[in-house]
Amino acid sequence: MRIELKPGVHLNIIETQQFKTTRISIQFIAPLAKATVTQRTLLTSMLETNSADYPTQAKVSTFLESLYGASFGIGVAREGQVHRISATMNLVADQFADSSLLPAAFDFIQRLIFRPNVQNEAFDQVTFDREQENLMQYLASLDDDRQTQAALALQRLYFAASPDQAVPSFGEIDALREITPTSLYQYYQDVLAHDQIEIVVLGNVDAELVTKLTEQLPFGPRATVGSLSFDQPVGPEIATQTETANVNQAKFNLGYHVEIDDFGPKYFAMLVAESLFGGSPLSMLFTNVREKASLAYYASSQLDALRHFMSVQTGIDADQQPRVLDLISQQRQLIIDGEFDEARLQAIKDGLINARVSGADSPRFLSNQALFHALTPGAPTDLASFTAKVQAVTKAQVQAAAKTMQLQATYFLTGANNG
Amino acid sequence: MDKQTYADADETLYRQVLPNGLTVIVVPKADYHKTYALMTTNYGSIDTRFIPLGGDQFVDTPDGIAHFLEHKLFEKADHDAFDLFGETGANANAFTGATRTSYLFSTTAAVETNLETLLDFVQDPYFTDQTVNKEKGIIGQEIQMYQDDPGWRLYFGMIGNLYPTHPVHIDVAGTIDSIDKITPEMLYDVHRTFYQPSNMTLTIVGNVDPDAIVALVANNQAKKQLVNGPFTRGVEVDTDISTILPYRVLEMPIVQPKSIVGIKGTRDVQDDFEGLKYQIAVRLLLESIFGDSSELYLKWYDDGLIDDSFDFEYSAQRTYNFATIGSDTNDPAAFSDAVIDVINRGVDQPELNEARFKQLQRAALGKYYQSLNSLEGIANQLSAQSFGTSTLFDFPKALNSLTLADLQQVATEFLNVDAVSVFHLLSEGE
Repeated sequence: MRIELKPGVHLNIIETQQFKTTRISIQFIAPLAKATVTQRTLLTSMLETNSADYPTQAKVSTFLESLYGASFGIGVAREGQVHRISATMNLVADQFADSSLLPAAFDFIQRLIFRPNVQNEAFDQVTFDREQENLMQYLASLDDDRQTQAALALQRLYFAASPDQAVPSFGEIDALREITPTSLYQYYQDVLAHDQIEIVVLGNVDAELVTKLTEQLPFGPRATVGSLSFDQPVGPEIATQTETANVNQAKFNLGYHVEIDDFGPKYFAMLVAESLFGGSPLSMLFTNVREKASLAYYASSQLDALRHFMSVQTGIDADQQPRVLDLISQQRQLIIDGEFDEARLQAIKDGLINARVSGADSPRFLSNQALFHALTPGAPTDLASFTAKVQAVTKAQVQAAAKTMQLQATYFLTGANNG
Repeated sequence: MDKQTYADADETLYRQVLPNGLTVIVVPKADYHKTYALMTTNYGSIDTRFIPLGGDQFVDTPDGIAHFLEHKLFEKADHDAFDLFGETGANANAFTGATRTSYLFSTTAAVETNLETLLDFVQDPYFTDQTVNKEKGIIGQEIQMYQDDPGWRLYFGMIGNLYPTHPVHIDVAGTIDSIDKITPEMLYDVHRTFYQPSNMTLTIVGNVDPDAIVALVANNQAKKQLVNGPFTRGVEVDTDISTILPYRVLEMPIVQPKSIVGIKGTRDVQDDFEGLKYQIAVRLLLESIFGDSSELYLKWYDDGLIDDSFDFEYSAQRTYNFATIGSDTNDPAAFSDAVIDVINRGVDQPELNEARFKQLQRAALGKYYQSLNSLEGIANQLSAQSFGTSTLFDFPKALNSLTLADLQQVATEFLNVDAVSVFHLLSEGE
């Protein structure tokens, strides 16, 4: 059920008795921009750490404990060319508590979002300094995780011509340094006034009560964002980069442009093609590169359909890099040439459907799906339609989809001694 | 079949031991779409030394052999079991821990077919020189990858400090040298000994009919000639604080230093109701002192000593148990000193009071009910406890039976500064 509370502010209710929890999420959605992602990330830390009514973290945590161990967190994510801040609360379903927890939960959310810890139109300086420092340290240490390092480097390389897409969805150090308590507060006023708002509530809830509680949140009318889809044109050259670090295992990542339509036949063909190429344990990358050739500990692909972007990540012995590149290219060619049998194709489709059906057991998946549907009305929401469209994909369509996978960037992180 | 109903959680657990010794545990979840099944052997990376089934003296097998076997079990003469699951759209996986090895699948269709596949591939080993040697390359990559993971190095560094003479300090995957020594014969010996039905459990949680599913498993097992027999484990309980290495440091090419403090448990914690109570008490104790509603956490966070990576956990396994308290920090020594100061107070903790205890008890109960949303969570937990006498569903009873006095007693015993060790992970060149 989707209800317009105000223009640009919607409530989505998923009534279900399947779970032992109620999940509330409030999404702030804005166009993705290099200039704002870092501010948005720092905002999440500021808002969840304390507020005017809960001036310390201990007070925030104590309240959540009193609410039968509820959890609350704020994070950021990128969906194509929009960026969202999501504030999420999970609480035990009312039948496990003495009385309905929803009024207290919404009161808490309202206080955290609308009564931040602010003095003189600026965020609290002490909190700000600490959270800025913590985020600084987090961003500075991303490369300590080599898989993250490789993934982010590939994204920078691939989207070199699209600065908004090249930055991590959680920001950058240089931009972080520029933010002040005053500038962040001003930006937050902008978020509160202009971001599209989607509220999703899932659980065994009374829709009337939820509607009443959400209507009390003082969001004004605002505009909605447009299409999520982003498509960077294919370039004539493959961008390559090699970096060295003191690592035992080398990382080799590849970025491809893929052609898809708006949830039409090309979209579903690409879902299947990517899953066959590297997106599942039955994939060519897994079976031929990792298992048969014993060349990699991991070798898999990921499809970011909203950005027409597919990436491949591998962990390998550095001196095998040319062979790995060759083998990965071969796997794509095998699909183009139709060198896979119907049984494997069917298993891949069944796997995609299985994953989708399994999602119906996850409050998070169901909640995100409602959000996604709100933002992309063309996407199939019901299982039957999704299943039918996956099953309808033909071998020829998969071959054609693989042909549109155009290698655009490769990133190689290798040990210092392997040059 | 034994049936237990837990009205508070609205869950029912069925349990049946088959004639061949295999224990089957079923929790039906009619509202769910998925079914999740795990087959688990009471055998993990610490069980390298044992008297095999049919043998009369101890043998020592190479480090990492349990994990190696787990990888290799999927591969058969003419197919890979992984593909059999995949052909139905199911997901399959496996993992090896210090004390257990589990094989699992998750599916929304063809539960029966996948269950037969699971039982058959786990119970029908096939190892050759060729397949064993090929696997060494793949696992070698895995070992190398973990060497680059700072969080993993820190955690294993601490385990190495607490258990230098117990095999839990050895990497689950072994070393490149140790796995090189593995042969098909060794794998067959291990399989015969530890994968006998009476040393295994099958846990199924999902949209299934318990009677039908147990009948299917029983029928599958009745067709097989599987041998049960005695064997002896070589690994012993380690609660000895005299072996602890008090401090080690490692430098890595990282930006963010890390610090961890470990406390070695000095009593053997069993997999029974008393053991469950004890584990909950230790966790509540740590939560009282270090939890994110504690004054200590607030002070350390505000002082910049820790950030939100700060974490603590307590792990109780067959033959060992320990707690860790760790964080990313720019001053690893100041962090570990601060933690040790707290441990040094023993039972004299300002946060150990009745009001806070009641609040945390209530929060823990709420979190427990929330955790029951996850089929995987339920199944993994039941499977982990399947060789003992307590289960996940005993949690509310155990939790509610605890008092502040119980926590104080645990604090007196567990917060033992002589059982403490420190590990620092520093940036290279500092």
